[in-house]
This record gives sequence, structure tokens and C-alpha cells, in this order.
Amino acid sequence: MKVLVTVKEVAAVEDDFEIDGLSIDDRYLEYDLNEWDDYAVEAAVQIAEAADEDVEVVAATIGPERSEETIRMALAKGADRAVRVWDDAIADQTLLDVNAKASVFEQVVAEEEPDLVLTGVQAADDALGATGVALANRVGYQWAAVVNDLDYAAGDDVATVRRELEGGVEEITEVDLPAVLSIQTGINEPRYASLRGIRQAQQKEIAPHDLSDLGLDAETVDGALELTDMYEPESESDATIFEGGAEETATELANVLRDKGVVGE
Amino acid sequence: MDYGLTQEQEQLREEVRRFAENEIAPVADEYDREEKYPAEIVEKAAEMGLTGAHFPMEYGGVGYSTLDMALVTEELFAVDPGIGLCVTSAGFGAEAIMEFGTEEQKEEYLPPIAEGEAVMGAAISEPHAGSDVSSLSTRAEKDGDEWVVNGSKMWITNGSIGDYFVVMCETDPDVGDRYTGFSQLLIERDRDGFESEKITGKLGIRASDTAELRFDDVRVPEENLVGQRGMGFPQLMQFFDETRTMVAAQAVGIAKGANERALEYAEEREQFGRPISEFQAIRHKLSEMHTRTEAARQLTYKSAWSVDNAEDDLTMLASMAKEFASDVATDAADEAVQIHGGAGFVDDFDVERLYRDAKITQIYEGTTEIQKNIVARELLDEGY
Ligand SMILES: Cc1cc2nc3c(=O)[nH]c(=O)nc-3n(C[C@H](O)[C@H](O)[C@H](O)COP(=O)(O)OP(=O)(O)OC[C@H]3O[C@@H](n4cnc5c(N)ncnc54)[C@H](O)[C@@H]3O)c2cc1C
Repeated sequence: MKVLVTVKEVAAVEDDFEIDGLSIDDRYLEYDLNEWDDYAVEAAVQIAEAADEDVEVVAATIGPERSEETIRMALAKGADRAVRVWDDAIADQTLLDVNAKASVFEQVVAEEEPDLVLTGVQAADDALGATGVALANRVGYQWAAVVNDLDYAAGDDVATVRRELEGGVEEITEVDLPAVLSIQTGINEPRYASLRGIRQAQQKEIAPHDLSDLGLDAETVDGALELTDMYEPESESDATIFEGGAEETATELANVLRDKGVVGE
Repeated sequence: MDYGLTQEQEQLREEVRRFAENEIAPVADEYDREEKYPAEIVEKAAEMGLTGAHFPMEYGGVGYSTLDMALVTEELFAVDPGIGLCVTSAGFGAEAIMEFGTEEQKEEYLPPIAEGEAVMGAAISEPHAGSDVSSLSTRAEKDGDEWVVNGSKMWITNGSIGDYFVVMCETDPDVGDRYTGFSQLLIERDRDGFESEKITGKLGIRASDTAELRFDDVRVPEENLVGQRGMGFPQLMQFFDETRTMVAAQAVGIAKGANERALEYAEEREQFGRPISEFQAIRHKLSEMHTRTEAARQLTYKSAWSVDNAEDDLTMLASMAKEFASDVATDAADEAVQIHGGAGFVDDFDVERLYRDAKITQIYEGTTEIQKNIVARELLDEGY
């Protein structure tokens, strides 16, 4: 069987940084694999490792050449190969919207025909949180979003998943394959890339594709969303320090939590 | 000449750093204070492949070069030298097996280190033989097809927890020449007559295990001889070329760790209404620390490169790198404490620990004085 994992290189800003118009200079940025994708890769690799049959894990990304260094970490952790999609038309977008991403991945799915697609719940940078489900809709796969527990063995037709719903409620449900699951952090413990894995990853394929390779034209990625402004939100915080014995301070803390609506009456 | 690291080396460095930040940094203080050996962390490190990465593939390693290992060592020591040493020294002594051991020895003793199932050590120093290795008196006598070992070893890293040791013994005391009567023997902990006693109260690298070993009529089969009988000394000198390069990498790591912490603190701490990083006295310290660290790093990388590519100047380069980098490390740690002021004098900040840890790099695997002697001896073409 084949598992496709969508992965993204995301940038995080350093403590001190400057915004320049609609962007932040590279020197203030650190690139890393999106945290949610790390869990998705781990979930895929665990399925492959536990399987009796051959399971191919393919990582797919939309990203510039620079992102190969990051994507290679997914290969070092056990993915077999990667597909990287990039195009001038994508680079020209100020913000790639969910539709555009779903269109790109739709073609990747058409080409790869995976049995299972794992995405992260969201990306740490644009936090749209919809790519997985939008993709499922496009390709007509079943889906489950915000999966924090997965019971699936390679070859099975059904995956049992636990999903996080609103307000701390969870749901256990079954999803027929082929399916797209968006993976929540905490579902597993992502491994460190082993030194052997890092070495082997250097030989693994990261196949570059542009839009025309996927049979798409430049308009496909023109989205409804445009980045118009970038600013740092005012952050506010206040701290209350309770003093005294455990008995008293616990009551005070409980009052605050109730007032703030964190716990019910 | 190529000055850049490969993408693989960058990835290696980042992932090792991530491991150290997540798994080692949060507990470094505790293991230091309690002088506790971090067995669980070493096991996790082994899972990641950190304990035998320079072994060839067929013995469970990845075949990493000495330069790759220097990068790994640097990152671990930048976070915590004590636990860093536990990880990097799990296979201390394996270099001798790789270089001079038989096929059977390699198959038996290397994979368990890479898999995290065993830890080893190299036992050279004795209570009365430190800098003067040729005065060592642990005696191995041939009795039929066995060696019978008597004597004791001092300051042995992994001594009370290690499973086997490459032990420098005197096998042929009657040969005329000072350097030809020694041999390296593999001695396992579970042999009768083997005893160890942990040494506590160390100034630094307190998570690392150090012990005295005693051999009382310990018998090992003759197959436990590593390399050639009587060639222990030249084998040891070659071993040191590699391991001293690694001590240099440890020192570069310590300096790097001290520099990072000093820079961060200098930007945060305010006096006289501004960050102390605005005072020229502090700026010059930071500048000098970073410059000297970079110089030490380049010397270390060159020495590491020479281990794999150009043996001619290796002995001299390894001693230069070890001597220079260990000075840079102790100075950088000293300045890092100075930049922290009073806060650097207590264990709330890592620099206090780095300051204590840095010192060992000037002592073990040949003191600074001995390294200078070696450099001079090489310059004057005097042999050992
Ligand atoms: C934490 C720790 C871990 C260690 N791990 C190991 C290990 O795993 N295996 C192992 O075999 N050993 C190990 N050692 C031992 C270490 O290598 C020795 O301590 C070191 O070689 C110095 O020997 P010494 O302590 O006997 O000092 P000495 O040789 O007594 O030196 C005392 C002083 O005299 C100076 N001196 C000596 N001879 C000369 C000379 N000819 N010219 C100028 N100055 C000289 C020295 O530089 C030093 O300043 C370890 C030591 C420590 C502290």
C-alpha cells in the first residue's frame, strides 16, 4: 500500500525581528518542518514499520528548492521518497490559499494514487487548518480531521480514529479507505532522525514538479486570498500570584478559573 | 579547499542539537549535582545512532568520518559536557579495536556499543603513571593460552559502569627499549578478579562515570590481545591522534555553549539604563570569545580532516588542536561567568557548570603541558 504525507517547511521568527512591508527578512527566520507534519510522518512510518506487506511512504510538499533541506528530514525519519511542487506562479502569490493547495495536491494524489493521505491539522505559519479536508473533498476520499489516535494496520480497509471536537469532546469513529486524515500533535512521539537515517536520506529522491508537470496552469493557484498587511499583534498578559497555604490558594485559583470560564460551575 | 559543511552535515548537526536541547538540557543540572550516570539518555542516544556512528556499517555504525563525529561532539558539549561525554565516550577505546582488532573482536565488541547494549572504556592511566605512560606497571603475563593481569588503573571514564575495557598492560618488561614492552588487552567486567570503585567529588563533568579499576589475577584468553604484542605504545599514540581531536571538539563545543549563553545574557541584562551588551568592555569580550572559538574550531576541523585524509602532520595537529581549543574553552567559560556577574556564580545559570566542566579538557588525554611537549618534539623531529 501507499501512504502520502503532506509536509511543509514553515518559518518561525526569532525573538527580535522586523517586518518589512509584507515580509520578514530571511535573517530573522528559522525554517523547520511544520510541527503537525512531524507527527503525520511518524504516524505513516509507524504504519510502514508494523506492516507485513510493503508500504511506501511518500512525502509531498509545495515549496521552493530551499525547502529540500527540511523535507529531507522527513526522509531521514523514514519516508521513502518525496515530491516537491514549485512554480513561478506559486512564488508570485502573497498567500497560497486552501483551494490552490488542494488543487496541487489533488494532482499529486491522482498521480500517486495513495490508499491513505495524512496531513497535519494545520501549518504553524498560515494556520489555515483546512488543506486536508479540502483535499479529501476534491479527490472524493473519506476523511477525518484532528485525529489524535489512530488504529490502523496496513492492508485494512477501515481505520479507527479518535478525533478532537470542540470543547474537549472527543469522538471515536471509523473511516473507510481511501481516506485523508489530518493529524493532531500528541498522537505519537515523533522520533529523532537517526544518524543512519540522515545518511540514507541523502540518496532518496525528491522529485521536482512544476504546475505544467501536473497538468495545471498558472491560474489554478490564483486564490481569493491576498495578503494586505503584516503586523505584530499587541500582546497582553497579566499574572496573579497567590500566596499562602495550598488550601487557600487552591480556592483562589479555582475562583479565577471559574470566573474566566475555564471550568464549569 | 572547501570550507562549507555539506547539507548532510548541517542536518546531522541540527538533529543532534535538537536531541540535546530536548533530552539533555532539562536534566543536565540534576545529573551534575547528583553525580549520576544518565543510562536512559545514553540509551536514547544509542537509538538515534549516536554511540557508534563512526563504526563501519557492518558493525552497526554509519561510517561517519572523524569530522562528522567532531560536529556531533561539538553540539552535545555545547548543551552539556557531562552528559555529552557519557554519550560520546560510550565507545571510548573502540578506535583501537577498529584500527588494530581482529575480525572476531570487531564483530563481538563493536555492535553492542552502537546498539546501546554495552559501554566501554580505555584504561591507560594508573595511580603512578599519568603523563608518563611508559612508567605504567599493570602487568599481563602469558600462562598457556591465557593472559593473567595484575595491577590497577586510575581515572577510568565509564570505569564503574562499562562492560569492557581496552587496557594498556606491560607484557614484556625485559625488552631493552622503554616503549616496546606494552600491549593492549580487552578485559571484560565479568572476569573474576576485576573490581572497580567509582571516584566521586569531581569538579566537573560529574554525570560522567570515573573509576579506579583493579585487576587481581584476572584471566583473559589470548584472543583478547588487541593488535600486536609489544606494539601497545605505538598503537596508543595513533589512538590518541583520534581521541585528542575529539577532546578538541569537546572544547570547541564548551566554548560555543559558553559564548551562546554569554551573548544571550549580555543582550538581556540591563545596567545603567541599557543592555550590558552596549558597553565596550563586554562587546570586546564577546568578540574575542567568538573569534578564538572560531579559530579553535578550524584547527579542530583540520585535525579531524587529517585523521581521515592526511596522516603526516596529524600527531602535531591533534596536539595543537587539543591544547589550543581547551584553553579557548576554559577562557570562554571564565568570561561567560564574568559577563553573568553574580548570577554566573550560582547554579541558576548553565555557565557555572560549563566553567567547572571546561577544565577537564586541559587535563585528560594528555595535559596541556604534554601537548606542548609533543608539538615541540614533532617540530624538532625527535620521535617519542
Ligand atoms: C575525569 C577524568 C577522566 C579521565 N579518563 C581517563 C580514561 O578514560 N582513561 C585513562 O587512561 N585516563 C583517564 N584520565 C586520566 C588523565 O588522562 C590523566 O589524569 C592525565 O593524563 C594526567 O595524568 P596525572 O593525573 O597523573 O597527572 P601528572 O602526570 O602527575 O601531572 C601533574 C602535572 O605535572 C605536569 N607534567 C607531568 N609531566 C610533565 C612533563 N614532562 N613536562 C611538563 N609538565 C609535566 C602535568 O602537565 C600536570 O600539570 C582521566 C582523568 C580525569 C580527571
